[in-house]
Amino acid sequence: MARQPMADPWDERLAKARAALLHALHGTDPLGAVCRSCVRLVPVAGASVSMTGGRAQAEMLCSTDDLSARIEALQFTLGEGPTVDAFTAGRPVLVPDVPGAPAQAWPMFAQAMTGQAVGAIFAFPLQYGAISIGMLSLYRERPGWLSGGDLAIALEIVDVAALALLNHRTGVLNGEQLAFLPRGREQIHQATGMLIAALGIPADQALARLRGHAFATGRLIDEVAHDIVNRHLHPRDLDQ
Amino acid sequence: MSTPPSSTQRESRLLEAFVQMADTLVDDYDIAEMLHQLAQYCVRLLNAAAAGLLLSDQRGGLQVMASSSEQTRLLELFQIQANEGPCLDCVRTGEPVHVPDLTEMTGRWPSFAPEALHEGFAAVYAIPLRLRQDTIGALNLFNTGPGPLPAADVEVARALADTATIGILQERAIRRGEVLTEQLQTALNNRIAIEQAKGVLAYAANLDMDRAFQALRSYSRNHNIRLTEIAHRLVTGTLTPADIVATGGPA
Repeated sequence: MARQPMADPWDERLAKARAALLHALHGTDPLGAVCRSCVRLVPVAGASVSMTGGRAQAEMLCSTDDLSARIEALQFTLGEGPTVDAFTAGRPVLVPDVPGAPAQAWPMFAQAMTGQAVGAIFAFPLQYGAISIGMLSLYRERPGWLSGGDLAIALEIVDVAALALLNHRTGVLNGEQLAFLPRGREQIHQATGMLIAALGIPADQALARLRGHAFATGRLIDEVAHDIVNRHLHPRDLDQ
Repeated sequence: MSTPPSSTQRESRLLEAFVQMADTLVDDYDIAEMLHQLAQYCVRLLNAAAAGLLLSDQRGGLQVMASSSEQTRLLELFQIQANEGPCLDCVRTGEPVHVPDLTEMTGRWPSFAPEALHEGFAAVYAIPLRLRQDTIGALNLFNTGPGPLPAADVEVARALADTATIGILQERAIRRGEVLTEQLQTALNNRIAIEQAKGVLAYAANLDMDRAFQALRSYSRNHNIRLTEIAHRLVTGTLTPADIVATGGPA
């Protein structure tokens, strides 16, 4: 196995990619911009973002090229393929060698892909814990997995795509503070849970409410979450 | 703190722990639950005051996966290390980091060291979770008294760290990098779902976060449903807080 060094948080390339993605979030078409940045920032040929609602319902919101769009549409029509699996299981499904993948996994999809310039498909669910909001699918013309550095950037894109899609779904305006939602802060997730229980609203709306309150009061989402978890701020005070 | 176990006591506890872990690993198990048990073993076997497991998010950061206690302040102490501290250094170098005296490290870790001292800890150790050349995370141990980790404990800590690595990667033959990414990213996201579920239960049943976690675990064990699955159901509303508190609440 080739050595895959863990990403360096201060890596210059990663920092540049982060800046570019932040910029993409602030434009008029954040989802489209995030989609296009996949092709620019990592060695993939195309990308698409779909929004998932109820069970097995998916709506493609953007794609960088015809083949990306076709890969996505085909999978949701046939009801099988890496993106469908990733959505169903809520876990990434990464297929670095599509022509060499076992045919029994997706017989119809595999057949449809024969002769196409699709060597690899990487399907990532866009989710925050139990909040499932969509899918990001990437394809490469030739088989091959990503290097450690490319993977780190691809995962950053996944984070930003999730954020852009959350903004899109919950109808919030783009802004400086809305470009910030650290995944590793457990209190943000705990506070989201508390809002679900207190206000009786779905999880995605609870997270949107938390972000909206932080934005409206000019505070960091971490601080608001901290106050809710420590019971200094009542979830009802966020009820609009 | 309890007195350190005698060597015979310790040997039998060790044996018991590894037999139980091996039992878990051959069954259909939940990574979140397995890592929580492992953190508990660390505290018991190594006589540590607290233990936690952090995983690389593969973007240059770290995320808490398990802790010997789900007290908010302890979780925060682990989480600070996403930015600085022994775990970050350990994951970046792939080498163990031993800090027998935290007071000497306030210059190196200006956020982490004072915070850890404030919580009453004097020494900290980070042991890498290694898969061949990759470091996928770290096992973090805290002691309330200063001093090095005894040589025998270093061995045990390493064995527990290796067990965690095997557990995270599950039965799959992780020869390829993409499978490692699938496993790590899924484990990290499931931990977020557990935090969300803790929040739901903490509010609905008026519990602190540690109690909420224990209630989720009890329900999981009593009903033989994975902790992660319960967390998802509770957050999405297919399971209610009343279900959990009524039938599988804290002992």
